[in-house]
Amino acid sequence: MAEFGIALIATLVKVGVLVGVVLGVSAYLTWFERKLAGHIQARLGPNVVGPFGLLQPLADAIKLATKESIVPKGADVPVFYLAIAMALVPSLLLFSVIPFGPEFTLFGKEVKPLISDVNIGILIVFAMGSLAVYGTIFSGWASNSKYAFIGSLRKASVIIAYEVVLGFAVLGVILLAGTMSTVGIVEAQAKSGIWYILYQPVAFVLFLFCMLAESGRVPFDIQEAEAELVTGYNVEYGGMKFGAFPLAEWYLNVIALSAIAVILFFGGWSGPGIFGALSPYVWFLVKTFSLVFFVIWLHWTLPRFQAKDITEIAWKIMLPLALANLIITAVAVYFLGG
Amino acid sequence: MPWINRGAIDRILHEFKDAKPIEGKSVSGFEVPKSRLKSFLKHLRDKERFVHFIDHTLIDFPEGKHRFQAVYILYNPDQNERVVVKSWAEKDSLPTVQDLWAGAKWAEREAYDMFGVDYEGHENLRRMFMWEGYEHFPLRKDFPLGGVPEEELPSMTEILGGRTDPPSHDFEFLHTKVPTLEDIERTERARLKKKAQLVLNWGPLHPGTHGTIWFLFDLEGENVLQSDVILGQLHRGMEKIAENLHYFQFLPYTDRMDYISAICNELSYVSAVEKLLKVEVPEKARYIRTLFAELQRINSHLLWLGTGALDLGALTVFLYCFREREKIMDIIEGNAGFRLTSAFLRIGGVHYDLAQGTLDVVKAFVKDFRNKLKEYHTLLTRNRIWLRRTKEVGIITREDVHSYGLSGPVARASGVPYDLRKLEPYAAYDEVEFDVPVGEVGDVYDRYLVRMEEMAQSLRIVEQCVEKLEKLPKDAPYVNKSHPCVIPPKEDVFTSLEDMVQSFRVVVHGESAPQDEVFVSAENPRGELGFYIYSKGEGKPYRLRIRSGALYNLSIFPKLMEGRTIADAIALLGSLDPVVGETDR
Repeated sequence: MAEFGIALIATLVKVGVLVGVVLGVSAYLTWFERKLAGHIQARLGPNVVGPFGLLQPLADAIKLATKESIVPKGADVPVFYLAIAMALVPSLLLFSVIPFGPEFTLFGKEVKPLISDVNIGILIVFAMGSLAVYGTIFSGWASNSKYAFIGSLRKASVIIAYEVVLGFAVLGVILLAGTMSTVGIVEAQAKSGIWYILYQPVAFVLFLFCMLAESGRVPFDIQEAEAELVTGYNVEYGGMKFGAFPLAEWYLNVIALSAIAVILFFGGWSGPGIFGALSPYVWFLVKTFSLVFFVIWLHWTLPRFQAKDITEIAWKIMLPLALANLIITAVAVYFLGG
Repeated sequence: MPWINRGAIDRILHEFKDAKPIEGKSVSGFEVPKSRLKSFLKHLRDKERFVHFIDHTLIDFPEGKHRFQAVYILYNPDQNERVVVKSWAEKDSLPTVQDLWAGAKWAEREAYDMFGVDYEGHENLRRMFMWEGYEHFPLRKDFPLGGVPEEELPSMTEILGGRTDPPSHDFEFLHTKVPTLEDIERTERARLKKKAQLVLNWGPLHPGTHGTIWFLFDLEGENVLQSDVILGQLHRGMEKIAENLHYFQFLPYTDRMDYISAICNELSYVSAVEKLLKVEVPEKARYIRTLFAELQRINSHLLWLGTGALDLGALTVFLYCFREREKIMDIIEGNAGFRLTSAFLRIGGVHYDLAQGTLDVVKAFVKDFRNKLKEYHTLLTRNRIWLRRTKEVGIITREDVHSYGLSGPVARASGVPYDLRKLEPYAAYDEVEFDVPVGEVGDVYDRYLVRMEEMAQSLRIVEQCVEKLEKLPKDAPYVNKSHPCVIPPKEDVFTSLEDMVQSFRVVVHGESAPQDEVFVSAENPRGELGFYIYSKGEGKPYRLRIRSGALYNLSIFPKLMEGRTIADAIALLGSLDPVVGETDR
């Protein structure tokens, strides 16, 4: 019983720390994105609120939180609110299977720096990715707005297509590692000393595309498409309710999926131990944020695809590629023994 | 551009005995009775190759036997000739010519909206700018300039506190009508009969429409089965205003039509008025006009590029374009005193002489802008996503260009080398060298390439103008003040008696224009902007018709949209590049 109590407290502490850190980081990612976008676009970005505009996310949060809450006429009110939860919760739950570093010992107890080391970690990632689409669908449906509705349907069609590709792309890595546990995958890479990006470059590119599609980043941001659909599915939301959607999609999802990409293809926390005890964490964060940086960079550079093009690319090009990659990997693993 | 030649006139008169040639005017053409109008126009199109529709409008003569005179302006691309055909609208109705030229569809609707003339056989003769249920026809001569005060619109104080004596405010109780919600709904219903799943109201206030245009899309999934455009949210009755102003007074209004390319509008307008008044323009003024019109063209194309790319999701190109636009705006501001609606040109010249250092700044800009153009090309021209969004989208054929009366880059991208700077040189365009880029396919991508190349060609023109202006003496005249209809520059008005008297006379009595008709058009960034001026010999035009390139270019939009998706709509609209100030006027 005491064992269980300690485990529960440890998990709660971990959850608290994680949620706090992740939400804080996402808030500051908005600042980072705006600064980066400013740099890319030859302008300054936020620089008025606080030094280097560092207090801008706080100001934004206060602004959003104090805005009037408007529910459109004819909206399906419970679903309207449920949509926010359905957008936020899966993106946060994605973090539950992300290991930030190797096990360490604290007060004589083994502590794993992740919330739950389940043996189906990757399946949870897929599940959460699929669940997230409900947030979009619900918001589009409940808003009683044609723009929101069209946007949410676009997103649904994209998610359906890319979930399939994502699954097949990641299967290659699972075959190589022989496990679905995120910790197991990282340890397998650390042990062999070779990151899976070398074995699975195609799978990584496919994963990257899926990541952009799932998080609704350019060039796949068709559900927002501000020029056509005036930000699409979240057009009827205001204040913090509106803030929740980009937070979940653009920031939480991007960070989480980047972290998973690092786990699957870049050896997770593994790296030379030049930062002492902290080096696994440093390496993990550096790798993750390099990917996040890449995503933001793309966002501010490329035009966007059309909805039908995106699904076409997924079904006609990426899915066959993923299948071919999977078959080749399976054959190689069978004959060369992993 | 020359008008129809003598040989062709004789040939046509031989064929149509009851047609009368129009003589002694700056335009030439025919007057035909209404009964023969349709067959006459058909003959012109099929036998004489006047295939390109330029404009159609009406003139109101309340005292005449028949009230409305119809004016058709057509163009023959083989001979590079224009012709005017006139006819009286007997019993206030005319035969429709929309089956001959598709561009006439909107032109006739506009004429119906403004004059109340019926077009027999028109497929959907609805209000063009006003709403359904509005019972007046604003361009008729008996419609007062201030509108008909017929509806009480109480102020908030009156609603809360009741009407007091004396009234709570000192303006009129009766106002002109405004559309009610039911009116707007009826207008929407009248345009489109729903066939598919849902009708999406795209506009009037929507980031993708570049202004207050209201599109209706009948959607089947993402595909648009049919679409229509409701214009008029920015309709200010420019043509009505012009009838009530002296020629020089209307100039600032032209700025507010296509507000992105104000100087080009002014150039088109002053060219028309100078033709009417027969004013010679000094060489320096012609070069200054050309220089600024081309800078303005680059400015306008930059806005098109920025917003077009923004619509397709390329957020950064937008800011890169605005960075360069800012420099052009500064050059214009330094010379005209205003950035956007600059009112820089004057009848007979320009308002100010070149400001000190302008040419150096322009030279620096030209040098810098070449690299910037390369940067835009790197970002977009070979970008796979950009190609996928623009290639094979919205293909316009040559026949459609002529039939819809398309002009500007939209026409040239379809392979029709219709550039008025070459065909009918005005300002100093006949003295500078430049090429006219044309496309092959006529899709969105070609229109993009044509506009990009036009910016490069504009740079060439700007360079040549700078070269020429540097050679001209500093004190060369920039206004032809020897003509009695030209207002002399202000510094002369304040120092010399003759100039003061001349200025006084023009400002008070207006330019005494001869009895004449002119149609002059200029190559605007958004197509052919033409001014048809009918003068009865007074200080004000009797009728001033503005032929808007953007309106005709937009008129092909519903056709291009058939079977395409909403995402294509913005790519298409961006490539047609309408500015609502000009489509609505």
